[in-house]
Amino acid sequence: MVPKDAIVGEIVSCKDCSSEYEVAEISGATVLLKPAEQVGEDWGE
Amino acid sequence: MKLSIAFDRLRWEEKALRDAAESAGMEASLVDVKGLVFQIPKKPAEFGNLVLQRCISHYRSLLLSQTLEGAGLHVINRHSVAEVCSNKLSTTIALARAGVPTPRTYLALTSEAVESAAAELGFPLVMKPFTGSWGRMVTIVRDKETLGSLIEYKEELANPQEHMYYVQEFVKRPPRDIRAIVAGETLVACVHRYAPEGEWRTNVARGGTSKAFKPDEELKEIVLKAAKAVGGGILGVDAMESSSGYLVHEVNNTVEFKGAQSAVRTDIPAKIIQYVKESAKR
Repeated sequence: MVPKDAIVGEIVSCKDCSSEYEVAEISGATVLLKPAEQVGEDWGE
Repeated sequence: MKLSIAFDRLRWEEKALRDAAESAGMEASLVDVKGLVFQIPKKPAEFGNLVLQRCISHYRSLLLSQTLEGAGLHVINRHSVAEVCSNKLSTTIALARAGVPTPRTYLALTSEAVESAAAELGFPLVMKPFTGSWGRMVTIVRDKETLGSLIEYKEELANPQEHMYYVQEFVKRPPRDIRAIVAGETLVACVHRYAPEGEWRTNVARGGTSKAFKPDEELKEIVLKAAKAVGGGILGVDAMESSSGYLVHEVNNTVEFKGAQSAVRTDIPAKIIQYVKESAKR
């Protein structure tokens, strides 16, 4: 679920449940994820 | 020239802009603003002198552009532009004063007054929140009964702004609207946005789809005039085809362009970066 070229801050989705995670840290082959922010009422363009 | 692309949610657009900046020979970095602390009015070490503001959160976007400009950085779009675009009333005033055709709009400061505004507009009408995006809470009000229910609901809400009303004529249009992406004085791309099944709003965030078309001279002129009216920069101008001609109903400050890019051949990120590079020289 994490693309090879992912960078810190990128949002990735779980292919099973569609939950979103944010890439928090990349250390070699280890990628640390944290739950992504939920859509905010003030989000948009 | 060091370009910082400020974000709070990293999307395809921000990565594409970074890649385009690097291809144009600029030093570019993506800066996640969520964990940063700003000592006012010091220049934050994380940023170069040129900042492309791309936060998805409206309030973060406004406060960040204000803070970075206060620290002496060149921010695109300018804070004043973000302020105008982030408030539908401010946008309507700016458009109307510049002579840009826009739907007939009323402000009502009380629930009694909005009934008078509705009498002027007739039904159906469109009620919109003063701030908000992606078509959120934009409602067609088809009759007096529905208006009464909406007023009753809004008057129960705690936020005093909910007790004031921005209402607009319902424009009869084809089942699509127009999204024009503008960078400075250039119309970068123009697409029709079609509403998905069972929806009247055309926002791509709501499942709308984009299809490229060639704008005529009248549309080009109106769109560029609208962008100038709000202060200029990198903008998404939304317009409708009414029976009396084009009407601009919104100008977006942090334009999303993934949907438009899927429909056009123009390299949108490259055109945006070209504008960023040129504006930095001024």
